Amino acid sequence: MKRIFTISGFILLCFFFVNSAFAQNITVKGKITDATTGETLVGVTVAIQGTDNGTQTDANGAFTLSVPPKATLLISYVGYTSQHVAVSNAGPILIKLAASANELQQVVVIGYGTQRKVDNTGSVATVKGADLAKQSSTDPLSALEGKVAGVEIINSGQPGASPTINIRGVGTIYGNVKPLFVVDGVWYDDISFLNNNDIESLTILKDASSTAIYGIRAASGVVLITTKRGKTGKPVISLNSYFGWQSVTNQVKMANATEYATAINELTALSNTPADYNPPVFANPSSYGTGTNWYNQILRNAPVTNNEISLRGGTDKYTYDYSFGYINQDGIVKTNDYEKYTFHLANDFKVTKNLKLGISANILSSNSRDVNGQIFHQLYTAAPVVPVYYANGKYGDPADYNVGSGANYNPQATIDFFNQHSKNKRFTGSVYGEYNILPDLKFRTSFGGDLAQAEVRNYSPVYFATGGQQSNISSLSLNHTETRNWIWENTLTYDKTIGKHKITGLLGYSSQRNEGSYGEAFADSVAYAKSGNLRTSYPTGTNVTYTYPTASQLLTTEVSQFARVNYSYDDRYLLNASIRHDGASEFYPHPYGWFPSVGAGWVVTNESFMKGQHIFDNLKLRASYGIVGNAVVPINPTTLTVTNDPSSYTAIFGNPQTTNAGASINTVVPPTITWEKAEATDFGIEGSILNNKLSFEADYYNRLTKNAIFNIPIPGSTGENGPNGGILGNQADIRNRGFEFSLTWKQQVNSDVSYSISPNLGINNNEVTKVLSGNNPIYSGGAGIANGALATRTVQGQPIGEFYGYKVIGIFQTAEQVAKSPQAASAKPGDFIYQDTNGDGQISTTDRVNLGNPNAKYGYGVNMFLKVKNFDFTVDLQGRADVSVFNSNLGYRFGNENITQDFYDNRWHGAGTSNTYPSMNIGSTLNSAPNSFYVSSGAYFRVRNAQLGYTLPSAITRRWNIQSIRFFANAQNAINVFGYKGFSPEIGGSVLNQGIDSNVYPLYATYNFGVNVTF
Amino acid sequence: MKNRKYYIQNAIGLSMIAALFVSQGCKKSFLDATPGKTTTVTQFWKTSADATSAINAMYADMHGYNDTAFPSIALESMGSDDVTKGSVPTDASYMNEYHTFSVTAGEGQLEGFWLGMYNNINFANQILDNIPAISMDASLKARYLAEAQFVRAYDYFRLVNAFGDVPLRIHVPKSASDYNLARTPKTQVYAQIETDLTAAASVLPATYSSADIGHVTKGAALALHAKVALYQKKWSDAVTYTNAVTALGIYSLFPDYEKMFRTTNKNNVESIFEIQCMLIPNNPAASNSQYSQVQMPRGTEPATGWGFNDPSPSLIAEFEAGDPRLRGTVIYTGQATPEGDVIDASAPNPYYNLKSYVPFSLYVSGFNQGCQQDKIVIRYAEVLLINAEANNESGNSAAALADIELIRARAREGSTTILPKVTTTDQAGLRTAIYHERRVELGMEFDRHADVIRTGRGASVFGSLGFVAGKSEVWPIPQTEIDLGAGTLVQNPGY
Repeated sequence: MKRIFTISGFILLCFFFVNSAFAQNITVKGKITDATTGETLVGVTVAIQGTDNGTQTDANGAFTLSVPPKATLLISYVGYTSQHVAVSNAGPILIKLAASANELQQVVVIGYGTQRKVDNTGSVATVKGADLAKQSSTDPLSALEGKVAGVEIINSGQPGASPTINIRGVGTIYGNVKPLFVVDGVWYDDISFLNNNDIESLTILKDASSTAIYGIRAASGVVLITTKRGKTGKPVISLNSYFGWQSVTNQVKMANATEYATAINELTALSNTPADYNPPVFANPSSYGTGTNWYNQILRNAPVTNNEISLRGGTDKYTYDYSFGYINQDGIVKTNDYEKYTFHLANDFKVTKNLKLGISANILSSNSRDVNGQIFHQLYTAAPVVPVYYANGKYGDPADYNVGSGANYNPQATIDFFNQHSKNKRFTGSVYGEYNILPDLKFRTSFGGDLAQAEVRNYSPVYFATGGQQSNISSLSLNHTETRNWIWENTLTYDKTIGKHKITGLLGYSSQRNEGSYGEAFADSVAYAKSGNLRTSYPTGTNVTYTYPTASQLLTTEVSQFARVNYSYDDRYLLNASIRHDGASEFYPHPYGWFPSVGAGWVVTNESFMKGQHIFDNLKLRASYGIVGNAVVPINPTTLTVTNDPSSYTAIFGNPQTTNAGASINTVVPPTITWEKAEATDFGIEGSILNNKLSFEADYYNRLTKNAIFNIPIPGSTGENGPNGGILGNQADIRNRGFEFSLTWKQQVNSDVSYSISPNLGINNNEVTKVLSGNNPIYSGGAGIANGALATRTVQGQPIGEFYGYKVIGIFQTAEQVAKSPQAASAKPGDFIYQDTNGDGQISTTDRVNLGNPNAKYGYGVNMFLKVKNFDFTVDLQGRADVSVFNSNLGYRFGNENITQDFYDNRWHGAGTSNTYPSMNIGSTLNSAPNSFYVSSGAYFRVRNAQLGYTLPSAITRRWNIQSIRFFANAQNAINVFGYKGFSPEIGGSVLNQGIDSNVYPLYATYNFGVNVTF
Repeated sequence: MKNRKYYIQNAIGLSMIAALFVSQGCKKSFLDATPGKTTTVTQFWKTSADATSAINAMYADMHGYNDTAFPSIALESMGSDDVTKGSVPTDASYMNEYHTFSVTAGEGQLEGFWLGMYNNINFANQILDNIPAISMDASLKARYLAEAQFVRAYDYFRLVNAFGDVPLRIHVPKSASDYNLARTPKTQVYAQIETDLTAAASVLPATYSSADIGHVTKGAALALHAKVALYQKKWSDAVTYTNAVTALGIYSLFPDYEKMFRTTNKNNVESIFEIQCMLIPNNPAASNSQYSQVQMPRGTEPATGWGFNDPSPSLIAEFEAGDPRLRGTVIYTGQATPEGDVIDASAPNPYYNLKSYVPFSLYVSGFNQGCQQDKIVIRYAEVLLINAEANNESGNSAAALADIELIRARAREGSTTILPKVTTTDQAGLRTAIYHERRVELGMEFDRHADVIRTGRGASVFGSLGFVAGKSEVWPIPQTEIDLGAGTLVQNPGY
């Protein structure tokens, strides 16, 4: 790693020896717009033909370039047809670039290279960095929501949590089902370290012929990210800044104090059988009034600010890009805040005619004051009869109201005495060298790395708030995580056109090593130390307990070889084939697997018989097939490890008593695990009509994941209680089949008005085609469910993780009705009546049925853009449909937790009061058993993002020597429409537990005002 | 000239690439990456120290939540007339489903108890399967194996009492075909329990050096075996094993009944086997016994307990007038404990369990209330009661009367006016007296539920609570296990 710093230092030094010499030249100014929409195009490459000199357009689409007399400019831009423009001295040049003439001439990023879109035979979607930067999300991934058909982004709402991303349905299950992220050639599991403004483009590889070149890690799709790099030209400084606030929206209303007291009295009456004594009741519920609204007390409108400044430019010998970003975001929970600094650097250095070197690096530093993970559940459950403070200034104590242990906390005290800070530092980047061995043969080597440190520091002071919230000793705990990854990749690329034959060959070799470690320190009765490491945070002589849990240590290695051939004949017939041979330590001693792919395409509009038609501007048919793998499995999954966690395995013996360290094995011998592979087929059609105003793309895909590796729970009599909670193995075959449709309509109405509308739709059907564990159903979904009851069942022929339980057909109204029913032994009036689905006269577990599918069938988005003179307006809509969610919060009760207003208003509280909602005794074993009451539609529609911008006339800004100034106002998640009665129907969760809502994270909208300035 | 330059460039470039492929490609060991801190099973089971670690892990697992807190209370105490649910009515009202014998298979404590027992059995099986091959001191090895056999027998005994027939697993599962076992008839499980206890008693030492106190002893194996025999009505075996315990000559009744349960008198002369618990500084997670916390009185800050599993008026009424054991069993709300802690009058329950009580002064925040409290599994008074009952059932009333008198004499604490000597030699009358003595002597020690059922009195004693003969003798098999067993486990009748 030291070497990386040395090289980066060298490149940095080079930057300071800027040498510009364009003495004899003339200066050309120009502006480049979209021929159809009139939209100014930012970042268009303007090169002087026959040289390596050039520049790119600024935020107004303008460029200035010093050129030799009688030069020809080559104008090129991703997605547009290149143009040659001869330079005259007749003032500014206005260039209209056409996306039109041939959309298929666009260049797309693919694995280990780029390709003209016309030559691509897979399903590849590109999102421009500028579109991501428009959104106020601090994580680039969540900005993708609704942008691409077949890509599902799920934000759980948990502060600081990265969203879940599924490409074409859930095809792999174990742990991290995220796609592989490749940032400038380096592989990552997450990209939260990136600043949206530093992303040039983001490409999603969806089909197997595109992803198979990443073999081992491609099972969930691949996302390629190119960060911004400098372009030849004078230095350009840009400043992007916004401020705003986040505000809770679609808040679930809770019962007030009077309602709570009434309901709890009902619950007490229902629970106090047999009656043992006079239970505490709220004598006069209305005397409590509306009580405390804990959400209003603890949540706030939280300010957020995001600032980014960049410097880009270059000469013909090298280019540079530096940017610095700062985000300060307060959480919606008081006391919670987050600060993120990012630094991006990219340098490309042309050493000789045939040798190019470059470096890119991203540095992240973030600090946060954390929020107690319990707080959201506490807000949902805290008793409204308890005041925040008493008149004497002391905390309101639930113990004074005899509300039991279910809601025995004052949330204000929880946040006041929670002192936890997290720090993250991360250095990622790569260096590369490119050498042209022959004019058509290029060798590239790149070495990338990821060094990260994360620290969480928690201090509990001596305090007394309430009976349940107090400490008479102080304690300081620290945990520290380190990641050290490197990847070294070498490729040979051969590119040759012979007549109508165009061939590109790729040969590559890659190796990587990923290592992580984790350590923890804990000591009590110590003073707070704001800084220091695991050791120096504690005064000498302190009795510190150190733990290094074995399960968290990580080490994996991979070695791969790969090859690809792309061939096209006359731009009509296309053939791509690739193969990757991967070796992964996870599967040692049988580490190797092969991942082939093949794709073919036919550009119909380039056929001579199509020349005369005027319907299609272009039309291409394509098909592909490939096999990809999934290496995201636990380290050495087939190695049985020894458990020695001192928190669980410390025995006590002796007089006086002493501790004795223990170690043993509490997992079963895992079976031999073989590769999980996905075989995927894709058929696509793409093209455009009406003079390229309307472009379309449609795909059918069929992906079969074979031998999916995941944990399933096994019978408890094995004594198995390991960290994975089940047995890992090749458990099932899963198929995702579906369609994707994308349309884009672009029109330039007149010189002042242009607009575009791009709807997209993904339709996915998930089905488990085979359960390998002896065709037994896989039961799961116990997480977050009352009693740990298993709420999902995965069975052959059905979607994965389907909800499973009793079907509610009513509520028992009277004791007589109960006595005559099959549930006489266990039910009371006010309890659910379950359907005797098998008609055997009894209610037993065999009456359980499928209750709903947590895998969304439809995901859609509509992205709209309108420009009128200097105003621009962007609206992104997004939603999901035909999906079920399970609200486990309703039945998960210990005692006197609060209830929602909806439940209070509709609950059964005496014969005839409700035939759909149960009594306050909803937490009983019978009522909280997974059943249809808890399952509802998870469909939603939202206005994901809306932005109104105004660009100052350039006539004004030029006077200030500023290229452009744009002001904007932005609203994110401002409108959400759904019927679900919980906080948000957007629910993540591991695959077998997906859609089970045990979150109580409020949704929030973000409103911003900002400015983009380019100097 | 130009050509040669190209050749040279090619040669350099290609050989560089070839070198890369070859040098890395051949390093097969590069893919053999085992994280440094992980101990794999192939490195374990090698030394005497490994054997000791495994023994420690087994004992450590015995004071967990599933073994001593809610699941244990639900299945081993709640289904009886000695207790009420406790706490406020709305808290954990599912506990009442055990008290009223209306519980259904989905209730979570069933699964918790099941896992608690089988996790523990796994640690015993790990020892029994793996320690024999370790090269180590032969007598220590034999002792370790005997300790594991005791623990396994103890867990199976608890499982049989809770569920009847249960999967009998006496080896670590080796492959998928071993995971899903059907239920083994109760008689066969009992046979295995007896085999293990016989083996354990023949090897275990009667006492340990002070550093090893807390390991199971010969007396523990014999005493548990006596109880197992009693449950199967093997009267003469019960007499034999209890006499063998007495013959060890190391056990006697602790003079102060109430003080016997305090943390200052751990592992006293009466205690035969107890689960060792301790407040471990700097390690709240390992100080994880909640046995005391869940039963401690409510509403007394800062040592507020959860107040579950409270003595019932029926139990209190069972005590004879003036029996000092009542004040050694029950905490009265609004009054002071013998240690001087005044229980807040506003606490929602009138009575709490004194046997699991830890004085408030020992409370340390950040740790579970009362995590210092050991749980006594079997003590000498119960050995005497077993001896008395087995002798009476065998027609030896004299021996039975002698046992009962020993127990009542200790209870009198020197008084001459209370607890008159039991004299009846009528077998039925004496049986009633023994049942009474057992109920008060072992009150709030998780004995009553199983004791009433094993004597066939379930319907007559617990009938008013909801006990149904032919059903309520055992609890339902946890639904989770039935689901995961995919048809292998058949539910108990009536559930």
